[in-house]
Amino acid sequence: MDKKIKFDAKNLDLFYGDFQALKSINLNIYEKEVTAFIGPSGCGKSTFLRCLNRMNDLIESVRINGEILFDGQDINGDIDVINLRTRVGMVFQKPNPFPMSIYENIAYGPKCQGLKDKTKLDTIVQESLTKAALWEEVKNRLNKSALGLSGGQQQRLCIARTIAMQPEVILMDEPTSALDPIATAKIEDLMFKLKKDYTIIIVTHSMQQAGRISDKTAFFLMGEVVEFNETPLIFTNPADKRTEDYITGRFG
Amino acid sequence: MGRKVKDTLAKGIIYLATGITLSVLLFIVGFIFVKGIGLVNWKFLTRDYNETVSYVFVQAAEVPMSIDADNLKKENPYDARYESLIDGPIYIKSIGAAIAKVQYRNNYTEKEQFVIAYIEKNSPLLNAKDSTGKNVDIKTDDIIKRINGINLKNLTLQEAAAQIDNESGELKIKVVQPGGGVKSNIITTLYMVLLSLVIAIPLGIFGAIYLTEYAKPGKFVNTIRFAAECLSGIPSIIFGLFGMAFFVVALKFQISLLSGSLTVAIILLPVIIRSTEEALKTVPTSFREGSLALGATKLQTIFKVVLPCAVPGIATAVLLSIGRVVGESAALLLTAGTVAQIPGTFLSPGSTLTVQAYYVAKEEGNIELACAIGIVIIVIVIVLNVLSRFASDKLDVFNKK
Ligand SMILES: Nc1ncnc2c1ncn2[C@@H]1O[C@H](COP(=O)(O)OP(=O)(O)O)[C@@H](O)[C@H]1O
Ligand SMILES: [Mg+2]
Repeated sequence: MDKKIKFDAKNLDLFYGDFQALKSINLNIYEKEVTAFIGPSGCGKSTFLRCLNRMNDLIESVRINGEILFDGQDINGDIDVINLRTRVGMVFQKPNPFPMSIYENIAYGPKCQGLKDKTKLDTIVQESLTKAALWEEVKNRLNKSALGLSGGQQQRLCIARTIAMQPEVILMDEPTSALDPIATAKIEDLMFKLKKDYTIIIVTHSMQQAGRISDKTAFFLMGEVVEFNETPLIFTNPADKRTEDYITGRFG
Repeated sequence: MGRKVKDTLAKGIIYLATGITLSVLLFIVGFIFVKGIGLVNWKFLTRDYNETVSYVFVQAAEVPMSIDADNLKKENPYDARYESLIDGPIYIKSIGAAIAKVQYRNNYTEKEQFVIAYIEKNSPLLNAKDSTGKNVDIKTDDIIKRINGINLKNLTLQEAAAQIDNESGELKIKVVQPGGGVKSNIITTLYMVLLSLVIAIPLGIFGAIYLTEYAKPGKFVNTIRFAAECLSGIPSIIFGLFGMAFFVVALKFQISLLSGSLTVAIILLPVIIRSTEEALKTVPTSFREGSLALGATKLQTIFKVVLPCAVPGIATAVLLSIGRVVGESAALLLTAGTVAQIPGTFLSPGSTLTVQAYYVAKEEGNIELACAIGIVIIVIVIVLNVLSRFASDKLDVFNKK
């Protein structure tokens, strides 16, 4: 495979105060693939994901060693965080639409970048919702509050909101863990479609989900990446004993 | 068995306590209402507290009466609180109005007076001007004292009417517009509420934003919070003394609307900061993260997402604040004064309803009037409460599904 490397983590350590949550992570994320992070809870998947758009900046006690290159540039160095976050979008575990109208939710990001043109905004809203497979369901209620949507719709709205920024990467932290199976299936379908245009990194609790949607899988354990490989290989022929134990359900 | 008895006992105590609280409340409100309601009427609400004496100039005319005599008898503009009709009314063509003789009593005196009982639609009185040419609004129930320098004091109603009818050309009339109302106090109160909120709310909100969103948690923030808490516990007379020394004297704002509202704004600040802080803290982190993850700046996140979510909490703060301003007396007594007038500028004094209630009860011993003012205060507080609750419901972003 000669796909381009989007993210390149090199010897990344992360501390919450004295507690080391990530230990010397080395990981390549390739462009226009779905990369899944699996592992027992508390092993540092979310923490690592949040390093990729510098979301950990919000937490006072965090300290980071090592580097993460994004298109070859160290994101912990002298870069514009706002710009990074417009290029690396994020969808959270619990759907978190803002308490505004559906339209305003989608237009929020572009507006924050200073876009005021109503027709451009209209186009962005429609395109993003269409890409997120939500347009048909909400086109008649764009001015209604986003809080009136179902959980699954809210999560697709959050994906649409992220797409509206035309990011290069979409980070997803257990995006379906708060949803029912039908809504989950819809989101998985969506990810399949999105992978053509975006690099997707997804944290998931469900190994079936990782198996279904991802191209590569990284297995995290206690702050380390135990194994990182093509998804089919991880699931059929894991190199590490601990990976095998985890995917066969012997622990975690 | 023992448990059942205990339960019943506890229940009894709860009911009793509730009952006592409720009846005390009802008793107080009832007392105020019974004492004061007799004085509350439209005139009470729309008149100044002090009577105004003015000389007006009127062009005498020949205006026939358009209603018949029986209907004239039925006109009843007299303020039952102060007046009882003795004689009349009699219609006078030259001024196009009818006058009547009444027994008039105010706080100090009891006198017979001539009052205007009825004014024709095209009466020259309606074009009355003062010596500077400004229009003077003559109303029924105004007292007529003199006409062209002739005192009407010892005349009978017929003599007075004849006297007025005899004059021609430009008439110079001494008119006394009765007081006893709280219009100026109502307006001063509303000014005071508005001005102190305009000062305190932005300051409080920005302070709260700083404390919750910007300041690093630690000693400094805790000190500020502790200071705010202490401030809210200090009796308002202390703020009044400070306001008097600082705003009134040092900054030379005089005893005025401005000094008063600045002082009250300081009293309000801790309450607004505290409740806004609480409101900001209840806004879920997920909204902040969601916004930042979309490439919004911190400031955009605060103003576009966090603050709108906190509106109901801030509205509660505003609500509490309104109550504080309307209820404040000690601090305002020292900084805004006891002059019952509509403050013409920020630097003129004016007494709010509460101060006025204090003033008439203490200085004039007029408990009924104080209670009547009390009723107005209660109604204003209720109305403002309902209004801000309504506004906060309308603004609540979580309400609109
Ligand atoms: N804000 C924080 N402060 C301190 N420790 C944290 C914080 N967030 C996470 N941790 C710790 O870091 C470890 C990794 O957490 P996380 O990345 O959320 O795990 P995962 O997403 O894999 O379940 C856990 O032990 C957790 O307790
Ligand atoms: Mg997690």
